[in-house]
Amino acid sequence: MRDFRRQGPVINMRLTDYEATLLESLVEQFCGLLEADAEAVDHADPFARWQAELDGGEPLDRTDPVIVRLFPDAYPEDPIGSDEFRRLTQSRQRTERLDQAEIVMSALRDSDAGKHPVQVRLIDLPSWLKTLTAVRLSLAVRLGIRTSEDAEELDELPETDPKAYVFRVYEWVAYLTENLLALA
Amino acid sequence: MAVSERPVESALTGWVTIVWDDPVNLMSYVTHVFTTYFGYPESKATDLMLQVHNSGKAVVSTGAREQMETDVDAMHGYGLWATLEPV
Repeated sequence: MRDFRRQGPVINMRLTDYEATLLESLVEQFCGLLEADAEAVDHADPFARWQAELDGGEPLDRTDPVIVRLFPDAYPEDPIGSDEFRRLTQSRQRTERLDQAEIVMSALRDSDAGKHPVQVRLIDLPSWLKTLTAVRLSLAVRLGIRTSEDAEELDELPETDPKAYVFRVYEWVAYLTENLLALA
Repeated sequence: MAVSERPVESALTGWVTIVWDDPVNLMSYVTHVFTTYFGYPESKATDLMLQVHNSGKAVVSTGAREQMETDVDAMHGYGLWATLEPV
């Protein structure tokens, strides 16, 4: 059975109901992360909104290592320059990432939990690849994958280890990415 | 007397975008990003990807600071770990 098939401008991806639901929940978690602010801004207060805009949007929670990985320092030797870079780029990045995730969510919802093949339109492929990559980066941080040796060790964990399951999911998202790339 | 030996190209451009190796991003994906975003031919994109993979980093573009910030921003958008620095 072929799980991925390209038909003109669309790649049809067959997922089981379990897989479709799992992917939806992973993307949803990722969106939740981007929607969480470091400090809540009072949207009713125009001055607070204006200040937040000047600051380049509401700051993300940089105590979360996933956020640090998704928005790394542009200037490794220069924290002030890196902050300034984020002030100029982060708010737009965040909106783009949420829009891309919504494209993926919408295709997953249309598949009705895997009853129909998930339709990945080629024009939406960049959104798919970026979102799947972001999901893998988030899972990698949670799994503590810092080197390729870390990944090899996780691969050898007994099935009973809860981390082994998360690692299988991480590898499965890589498998989806590879297959979509191959048909691009 | 000190004589500046900066190559002409770097004197004109001054900054580089560096992509760093990470254990997460797939080799096929990194190559795809280099062909898609920079418009590099497959062979150049593959060479750069292998350089990132084998040496831990690679200079993927050169230019003025503003352009390099744009490139770094784009790489972050793809989930690649990128930085810029003066030459």
